[in-house]
Amino acid sequence: MKKLALAVTSTLVIAAATAAADGSVASFTAAAEQSRLEFVGVQAGAEFKGVFHKFTASVEFAPDALAGSRIDVQIDMNSVDSKDKDRDTTMRDKDVFDVSHNPTAHYLTKTITKTATGFAAVGALTLRGVTKDVPIEFQFAPAGGGAKLSGSAKLNRLDFGVGQGEWKSTETIGDAVKINFSLVLKPKS
Amino acid sequence: MPNQNSPTRYSAVAQGFHWIIAALIVTQFTLGWTAQFLPLGARKVARLDWHKSFGMTILTLAVLRLLWRLFNRPPELPAGMTPIERTLARATHVLFYALLFVMPLTGWMMSSAKNYSVSWFHQFTWPNLIGPNEQAFNLLRIVHDTLSWLLFALALLHILAALKHHFWNKDDVLKRMLPFTKTEKRS
Repeated sequence: MKKLALAVTSTLVIAAATAAADGSVASFTAAAEQSRLEFVGVQAGAEFKGVFHKFTASVEFAPDALAGSRIDVQIDMNSVDSKDKDRDTTMRDKDVFDVSHNPTAHYLTKTITKTATGFAAVGALTLRGVTKDVPIEFQFAPAGGGAKLSGSAKLNRLDFGVGQGEWKSTETIGDAVKINFSLVLKPKS
Repeated sequence: MPNQNSPTRYSAVAQGFHWIIAALIVTQFTLGWTAQFLPLGARKVARLDWHKSFGMTILTLAVLRLLWRLFNRPPELPAGMTPIERTLARATHVLFYALLFVMPLTGWMMSSAKNYSVSWFHQFTWPNLIGPNEQAFNLLRIVHDTLSWLLFALALLHILAALKHHFWNKDDVLKRMLPFTKTEKRS
């Protein structure tokens, strides 16, 4: 009887300790050099890849404290690089990203949930002055003091007005765009 | 025997390759040369999209045509031709075959170098031949453009030669490539 009481007590203590850990998240920033933000569009029926070289990501995350977790990404739209100057210039123009009026895009998660394979989040993406919810799926793998956060998303460019005038046609440029990201997270100092 | 090379006429298959590819090449000149003058924009992308799909079609047909040609001898040249005429005719045809490959291949490489992968009528995407490379693109563009002029000149020579054979020499060189005509057996 005494043994059982001890067992129950120690279980309670452990549970209490776990509960204390729950709710506290670790803070990270993405290491720019090792992180990658890629998009895959469809042009003239063929996929093309581009990246944004400049972006910052601030991540508060703990797998057991998803309510307090969030991912916050700021993207410098001017840093777009699709390995072709002509296309990059066109994308910066007012009909596409309109970078002179909308130099940054912003993504901030609202809810993060656990899935069978990793995590899913819904966040608000502000792109070309339009804010809409975009779901993402990602994996979170602690590594050393930091972590690796990688995943993907899908969005429709026309939801954000990306592609005005002649670029509205989805025959030439597909509406669906895939996003792939891989962030190397370092503890926030 | 429409499917075999008879001594005096090109077979139906050879004629089919010839006229389909000829029509595609005319289409390619129309699309390619007019696209150059379009400003950078959706219309240019769309026009070059067609140009690339037709170009890859020509490349595929060129492979099949060359294979066909290797196993099927064409009719002999008319007996009265001088050695220089024969050499010129052979050279023209060899160059034509070379350009049937080189034009699409340089175009394909241009697209790869610019990181614009080539789609085939939006059905599937061909793999890139080379990585993104601006200098390579600029060089390939010059080659592709210059060779288009060579192809244009060759086509002109080819057409004029065919007409010369038909109206001047009054032989069967033109007729044996024309469907729905008859060529008399040479004795």
